[in-house]
Amino acid sequence: MIKMVMLILGLLMAVPAYAVDGNEILARVDKNLAPDSYEMYRKLVNVEPDGTKKEFILFTVKKGKDKIAGLFISPASDKGRTTLRLGENMWLYIPNVGKPVRITSLQSVVGGVFNNSDIMRLDYAEEYGVTQVEDRGKEYLLHLKAKTRTVAYDQLRMWVDKEKILPTRIECLTEADMLIKTLYFKDMKDFGDGIIRPALMETDSPLYKGYRSYMIFAKIKARKIPDEAFTLNFMSRLESLR
Amino acid sequence: MKTGVVLLWGLVVAPLFCGVSVAEEPPIFDLSEIEKEVEKRPYAFGGFLQAQPTLSGLDQDSPLYKLKYYDDEPGGTLEQSNLGARLEGSLHYGDLTAFARLDSFLTHDHEGWDGKMTLMEGYVSYKPGPHMAVEAGKRVTKWGKGYAWNPVAFVDRPKDPEDPEEALEGYYVAAGDFIRSFDGPLQTLAFTPVILPVYKDMNDEFGQTGHVNVAAKLYALLYDTDLDLLFFTGDSRTTRWGFDFSKNLLSNLEIHGEVAWIQNFQEMTFLPEGQVMTKESDVFSYLLGMRYLTETDLTAVVEYYHNGEGMDPGDLKNMYACIDRAYDVYKQNRDRSFFGPINRLTKEGFSWRNPLRDYLYLRLSQKEPFDILYLTPALTTMVCLNDESFSLIPEVRYDPITNLELRLRGIIPVGGDRTEYGEKQNAWRAEFRLRYFF
Repeated sequence: MIKMVMLILGLLMAVPAYAVDGNEILARVDKNLAPDSYEMYRKLVNVEPDGTKKEFILFTVKKGKDKIAGLFISPASDKGRTTLRLGENMWLYIPNVGKPVRITSLQSVVGGVFNNSDIMRLDYAEEYGVTQVEDRGKEYLLHLKAKTRTVAYDQLRMWVDKEKILPTRIECLTEADMLIKTLYFKDMKDFGDGIIRPALMETDSPLYKGYRSYMIFAKIKARKIPDEAFTLNFMSRLESLR
Repeated sequence: MKTGVVLLWGLVVAPLFCGVSVAEEPPIFDLSEIEKEVEKRPYAFGGFLQAQPTLSGLDQDSPLYKLKYYDDEPGGTLEQSNLGARLEGSLHYGDLTAFARLDSFLTHDHEGWDGKMTLMEGYVSYKPGPHMAVEAGKRVTKWGKGYAWNPVAFVDRPKDPEDPEEALEGYYVAAGDFIRSFDGPLQTLAFTPVILPVYKDMNDEFGQTGHVNVAAKLYALLYDTDLDLLFFTGDSRTTRWGFDFSKNLLSNLEIHGEVAWIQNFQEMTFLPEGQVMTKESDVFSYLLGMRYLTETDLTAVVEYYHNGEGMDPGDLKNMYACIDRAYDVYKQNRDRSFFGPINRLTKEGFSWRNPLRDYLYLRLSQKEPFDILYLTPALTTMVCLNDESFSLIPEVRYDPITNLELRLRGIIPVGGDRTEYGEKQNAWRAEFRLRYFF
């Protein structure tokens, strides 16, 4: 009898763990990181081993799951450059060069540890499916697998704060389990309108020993943006949305 | 004079390195400071200062050397210095924006100092929303998908394939841009009409004066592929149609292409005696290219270009022979008239830049080798397939601190007698370029 009760209790206790839907957690992570359609400013900082810094400020607008555009506000050498991503299509517009050119997710328009897919990131749930969820006390560990081969990182390991449903750390890996970089989410901040999320994303990479890059988020706010703002023709005029 | 140049260099370069920031402590970020930095102002001003010394080894037997320097020969080498600025400014008022880009450069060579100021672009635009814009003034339209060449850029000046990322000077145009987005395989449709007047003192380098020309581009993003249909008509140049495309086949592989159908083109034959014969016919120019990124961050750009407006290698040989004859005559009796046929062609728009028909372009650039951040070495070659001559361009670009860009490169043309690259005026050229953006 006691064994039977123990078994039933054990099964009852096990149910919540199996009931956790990783893809639902991932969708909530996306929702908590930013509204569906929004604008924001970001400062990107590359720090070299000797402490030398290089900084970029980026204005970004995003709509839905697969449209994102960015405008470099500084430094002067990059001012006016814009990026556009529609699903897996990415373009870079350089004012002097003129026409937008297609770029790839693995390239980096800013140098340093961040690549284009980090800067023009779509919703995680858009690019990845959850293959496994591990309960790690105060955190979930989600194992993510890219839905297509065109995604920059084949696998992600995402540690998610159970209470806030926000990521605290993400490891980006190749198909062969090689670690490309680690992203750390820090400094929770209330951006208003219910947007409470980390204001700092820090990254390091075994491929860039001693180098660190930071992404600082500012002025995130929900905004309705017409689809036409996410087109090649509009890339040279993105400044007008500020 | 050399002391003056060195002093000028010192004045330009020294202050730039004073701004190197070395932070020993972990960075601390103040969001309110960032919020202040991103405040939008109704005006903007920027640009860069440039210093570019160049040393060229001249090929004194080359016809192009003789054509350029027959009355003032600089000798075996030529030193040039280029100092100046590109200034950009914009003013925003509601839906109206005014923009100007101005180049102002001083050049020093064996003939002394010379200055030039060029309005590269200057226009007013009205943008009531993301779906439309109307612009009037001097601007570059930027048509085509090719990296080194753009046969469908019907209303732009030709790029320099040795430096295709350099800004171009625009033409005075009135243009519109009308955009619609959709759900489904057709994601974007955009229509861009352009009116280009060509009169004396306005766009007169474009073609025959006294005419108003019309061009248009219809763009579609269809099945993740960029597609453009392009058109030009008017009496300044003959009517032409174009098509281009660009698509990412993989996350690290992009392909692109362009084709232009030029109607009633005046095909030129340059006879050995120096006479020019023309024949009217329709010609096609086209380009096919790809950009590939390897796992080690090596980017390869490859393009094949067929220049339908180009000439036969035999005609080029005849032109070279004509220049040699004219040079000999000039040296004997100071009579310049034998340069006449060549000078007339140049005046009518003939360019010594890629005058033949088939070219191959390859550029390999390695981002940050040996983990050296902001360093990009590159090697470019352009091969003229018609005469198997080519040019080699090794290059190193380094952006060590914010807003400072350094570029060192060489240009080495290689080819046999009477070939395109074998007869360039420079046997080699080495140039260093410093740009400081503000």
